Amino acid sequence: MIEVRNLKKTYDVKRRDGLFKSHRERIEAVKDISMRIDAGQIVGLLGINGAGKTTTIKMLTTLIEPTSGTYSFDGMDAIKHPSEVKKQINMIAGGERMIYWRLTAYENLWYYGQLYGIDNAVLKQRIEKLLKLVGLEDRANFPVETFSKGMKQRLQIARGLINDPKYIFLDEPTIGLDAVVTQELHREIKSLAKEHGKGILLTSHYLSEVEELCDYIYLVNSGELVVEGIKKDLTDFVFLRNQYEFSTKGMDEAIYQKLKSHICHVDNEAEISFENGKTVIESKMELSSVLAGFAIQEMLTINELHKMEPSLEQAVIKLSKDMQKEEIA
Amino acid sequence: MRYFLKVVWAEAVKQHKNYFNNRTIYISLFIWPLFSFLSAYYSYSAFDVEGTLVSYINGKNILVFLMLGYMAMSFFRSVVQSAWNFSRERQSGTLEYIYLSTANRLAVLMGNALSSVFESSIVMLIFGLLIVFSNCDSINVNTIGVSIVLLLFIIMALLWGVFLNACFLYSRDTDFLFTILEEPMEIFAGVKVPIAIFPAWAKIISLIFPLTYVLEALRQVLLNGASISSISNTIFACVAIIVVLLSATLITIVVVEKHMRKTGNVVLF
Repeated sequence: MIEVRNLKKTYDVKRRDGLFKSHRERIEAVKDISMRIDAGQIVGLLGINGAGKTTTIKMLTTLIEPTSGTYSFDGMDAIKHPSEVKKQINMIAGGERMIYWRLTAYENLWYYGQLYGIDNAVLKQRIEKLLKLVGLEDRANFPVETFSKGMKQRLQIARGLINDPKYIFLDEPTIGLDAVVTQELHREIKSLAKEHGKGILLTSHYLSEVEELCDYIYLVNSGELVVEGIKKDLTDFVFLRNQYEFSTKGMDEAIYQKLKSHICHVDNEAEISFENGKTVIESKMELSSVLAGFAIQEMLTINELHKMEPSLEQAVIKLSKDMQKEEIA
Repeated sequence: MRYFLKVVWAEAVKQHKNYFNNRTIYISLFIWPLFSFLSAYYSYSAFDVEGTLVSYINGKNILVFLMLGYMAMSFFRSVVQSAWNFSRERQSGTLEYIYLSTANRLAVLMGNALSSVFESSIVMLIFGLLIVFSNCDSINVNTIGVSIVLLLFIIMALLWGVFLNACFLYSRDTDFLFTILEEPMEIFAGVKVPIAIFPAWAKIISLIFPLTYVLEALRQVLLNGASISSISNTIFACVAIIVVLLSATLITIVVVEKHMRKTGNVVLF
């Protein structure tokens, strides 16, 4: 299990004030982040406005040393023993950098495998297995520069698994990929966690991706943790409601008023409107059975009863807007 | 040790495939030193070198004297260039993954220097050896001396490369080292002109470059037939430089990684 408590990172940055003058400025990239990643779990790290996601990942991968806070890696002090941590982790970043374009896919994996001191026979087998896993076995001996963006990304995934890591840090792994390749990668990521028991930390700008893949989500803003939990916890946190669209045969103003009063008895905070022969209700409560019950009681035939749950994307957008308002205020 | 050597080899192979995959690069690495060598040789032809104060230069061996200088220079220059190339790994993001791995940092830098020392200098080395062998009658070789000095020479060139690699990794703003170390090394290390005839201020500058000492030793054993005992001071200086370079490299590697972890500059470019 990876567990960090009150992680903080500040940088002293030199700012130029002209040709000869400069001054030092302290930047707090991460102010206070606590989180936990278990084996077999996919944890999402979402951020708003330069939130400190990348700095957090770099600290977890030991590439950057935290200014303060604790970092426990399977019970070991990871800040004191970065090289022990490095044996059991790897990172996969999105984009086309970080691999050698003039080398073939096989050569890239061989090189990175050697950096981990993997036995040659084991490495050969692992490279073949990984190339098969990411569907590049037929392109193993082609230079990476001839690969498409999706193929390069798949090679990145294979590279990230070369040392058979226990924990994997995925930094926007599907950035710029088309829908088909993205879906394939999603399947691979799920399989790594659920079938192979790897602990995964995922950052992504695609909120639907986080929604689809993550078991648990941390939302950070300006280097601080805003909220954590499953998707519902996040939508609840920003008071997002379910939206219902309800219509019956012969629905008119009189029936609408009756329905309105009926719903207000159940949830007096619900927002109800009547548009184009349809009643639109926003409520935090589960109203499907209430609406169906109303139709039976009034002997009305239901034309439409449609429920839309709030998405993670809506929650983050609302939260972002609320925070901007707070900053202005 | 096995793990260390695996990393050295992997890095050397990677550098070879990454930078030397096109055969024409060998020609380009040879052409400029060759032109520079020819220019120096014909410059000497305008003067009477017989009357020089330097014991091992005469009218017959001036070609070999210069060739040794340029051959040695090509080894030392190649590692400066390779260090500069290696710093580009920061831009390509691959440096981050090297530092993410458990590989010994000294082994990575050594693999890089090893590849560049031999690959960048191979054509010049072959050409140089041809010149030396075709002028056998003008040289006076001490075989044991040559073997020892050549070993010292290769170790020094490698360590010079490893040390520079480590320095270039400290920050993205270390490119100035390239300008400081490349041309001045050719001028002050005695590649073209023997240090013995330098003015005092230039002699002091020449002390900075490891090439100065090992080139002097190489010329003494190849042109003057000098024994190791007769050039013991130069040999001691070479050994001392090896110790200093190795220590400085190990310290720099630790300082660089600490600095990177503190500033996060492993990913900045």
